Amino acid sequence: MKIGSYPMFWMVSISSIIVSSFLPIRLAMEESRQDCWISMLLGGMIMMAATWIMLRVCMQNKDKTLVFFIKDLLGTLLGKTIVIVYFLLWLWQLSTLTTAMVEFQNLILLHNTPTIVLIVCTLFLAVYAVYRGGLTAISRCAEAIGPFFIIFCYSHLFLNFKYIDMKRILPIYADSGWIHILKGTFYSYNYIVDPTIILMLFFFAENKRTASRAILWGTAVAMIWGILSTLVVLFVTGPNLASELVHPTYYLTKFVTILNFIQNIDSFYVTFWMFGNFIKLSVYLFILSYGLSEWTGYKNWKLIACFMTIVWLAIVIYSSHHIRISHSFKNLYLIGYFYPFVYFGIPLLLWLIGSLRKAVKQPL
Amino acid sequence: MLRFMALAFFSLIMILFFSGCTDFDEPNQLAFVLGTAIDRADNGEMEISHQVVITSQAPSKGGSFGGSNHFIILSAKGKDIYEAQQKIQRETSRRLMMNHRILIAISEEYFNQNDVRKIFDKLGRDPANNLRDIIVLIKGASAKQFLKMKHPMEPLSSIGEDKKMQTNAIRNFSSRTLIIETLSEGTRSMLPVIQIKPSKKGSNLMSTNTIVSKYAVLDKQLKVKGIVDDVEGAKVGWMSGNETVQGITIPWKDGIGYLSFRLNHLKRRIHAVRVEESKQIIMSVKAQAYLLENTTQLNLSEVDNMIVIQNYMNKQLEKEMQQTVDKVQNWGADVFGIGEYLHRKYPYWWKSKKEDWDQHFKEMDVKVQVNIELKSIGMIGKL
Repeated sequence: MKIGSYPMFWMVSISSIIVSSFLPIRLAMEESRQDCWISMLLGGMIMMAATWIMLRVCMQNKDKTLVFFIKDLLGTLLGKTIVIVYFLLWLWQLSTLTTAMVEFQNLILLHNTPTIVLIVCTLFLAVYAVYRGGLTAISRCAEAIGPFFIIFCYSHLFLNFKYIDMKRILPIYADSGWIHILKGTFYSYNYIVDPTIILMLFFFAENKRTASRAILWGTAVAMIWGILSTLVVLFVTGPNLASELVHPTYYLTKFVTILNFIQNIDSFYVTFWMFGNFIKLSVYLFILSYGLSEWTGYKNWKLIACFMTIVWLAIVIYSSHHIRISHSFKNLYLIGYFYPFVYFGIPLLLWLIGSLRKAVKQPL
Repeated sequence: MLRFMALAFFSLIMILFFSGCTDFDEPNQLAFVLGTAIDRADNGEMEISHQVVITSQAPSKGGSFGGSNHFIILSAKGKDIYEAQQKIQRETSRRLMMNHRILIAISEEYFNQNDVRKIFDKLGRDPANNLRDIIVLIKGASAKQFLKMKHPMEPLSSIGEDKKMQTNAIRNFSSRTLIIETLSEGTRSMLPVIQIKPSKKGSNLMSTNTIVSKYAVLDKQLKVKGIVDDVEGAKVGWMSGNETVQGITIPWKDGIGYLSFRLNHLKRRIHAVRVEESKQIIMSVKAQAYLLENTTQLNLSEVDNMIVIQNYMNKQLEKEMQQTVDKVQNWGADVFGIGEYLHRKYPYWWKSKKEDWDQHFKEMDVKVQVNIELKSIGMIGKL
């Protein structure tokens, strides 16, 4: 099960764009208003750094996945315990994303369809892809969907050209000041890109050198899209309305009217967003079940994938009944401790230990 | 093979279930709302009226819309928009669809006695709204009455109004623009007004005898501060950065002849130097002019005469526009966006002024500078 660098690029960029399309812009906008593009830029750079660190770690341990090399570097007990944090992170992201997606569909398009039908359809699709084809199938899908998805994401930003007023982001800095800009970054940076998947995916890359380049490019494409869409939202609606929008990029599509003829393109947005979501969810499900199979030593990861889907379904149903769980993006424990720990703390530690080992080995 | 057939059959059946058909309404189950009217009702309630186009009725010969009604008005009262809308829905055979609405008419009475900003919540929150519809203020009659009127050319009054605005005024009066302007601190809004004259014969046909277009200047709370006629309103639109003026007519010095120009490439620039001390704002407007009618004695083949009328036009227009600015300034409603300009240019100074901008705006010294270039004198010099 090896994948090329090209699908790697699409998988990384799709799954990053999906998160950044609905969370960080809103969170940053609430704090830093018309300067939130600066917050997004800072956050994007921080996450680029996180991706780079994780890539370093992966390059040091080319022939192993996260589950094995963390055991190598930190010892079996500690390694196995810390890896659970990543499993939890992936499970948490799986369920929040599914909940958000299903709620969105119910609000916009399918008013009468029972939520459970949507959840089951989504989960079935993801688990089917993982069960039948594993990563190969997902990467093929990503290759096919990716170009359309990214072209649509970038092009829909410019369909509002008629209403763009660049002066709306002025005055820069004066109204918010550094504290608000940094606060905006602090709330949003964790959701701008999605670096942890490469800790598992990198092991499957055929050519490690081109794959690492693909990952960096994929992250960069998503990050640039995040900043660009923030800017366009500001250009079109201005900071006062934009900071109230729950789905800023979706709202952009509603304004589009070209020659009084091309209107209501929001249905396209929802469709492409669903495609992208499918890729992201199945990538997560795959790395989660593959990781768990390595962790437990039980070889049949496909069976684990099926089992995890049931757990996932249970969490989604539970959290859709408890509003607080599916809306805790701004939870201070989460963004203050948990995310920095998994995005920076552990990778930095692994990198340090790996480099030290290398340095100790080389003189001999 | 058998397995493949079974799978194909199974997926075909699944398509029926998973295609979202449970939520789909066929076009013959939908009522397309093209216009909505908001009026004030008793007990602080509001009356919502929807102008629904009757799609089942085929247009008469030649596709013209003359003769019978092509719409119905459905209305109900409620505490908020949704409640009234539900009341209408319960009485209607088709599902009301708002996505294609092009106009929201609000009566003057409602503007005066209610907070119009409250309807923005429904417009923004409910995904069924498109925020592309225009908002107009109805004066002299209820908004519902406006929807009931027949347009001589178009099937619906709301379509007629929308097309009229597109043809004549390029300014964007959509509900989205209004919401953005209302939320910003340094701009006040202007709204198109339709004044309905009481007709003698009780005719419901829209014509120049029954309706007059005007513009209303609103303050931060969306209360009407003043009303200007459409010629003056177009100039205000020009000075707030839109290409609303299409032509002007100015009297010549002798008071006998007149000069008419078509204007295009309208531009506007606000400029301020050391606003902290002088409080002086320069509003410079630019355009290109094409002479289309000349009833004076001047022979415009002479280049000297061309320069004379260009300078005269600038002076004359400057005077007129200065009067308009003074008038609007007296009302204290900054529809030009001067506050927004100052906010962007002097953000720190602005912080102390934004709370009470309407008052500060009155104290500003706004000077209009007109710079129109005469591009052409038309096809003849002098007959």
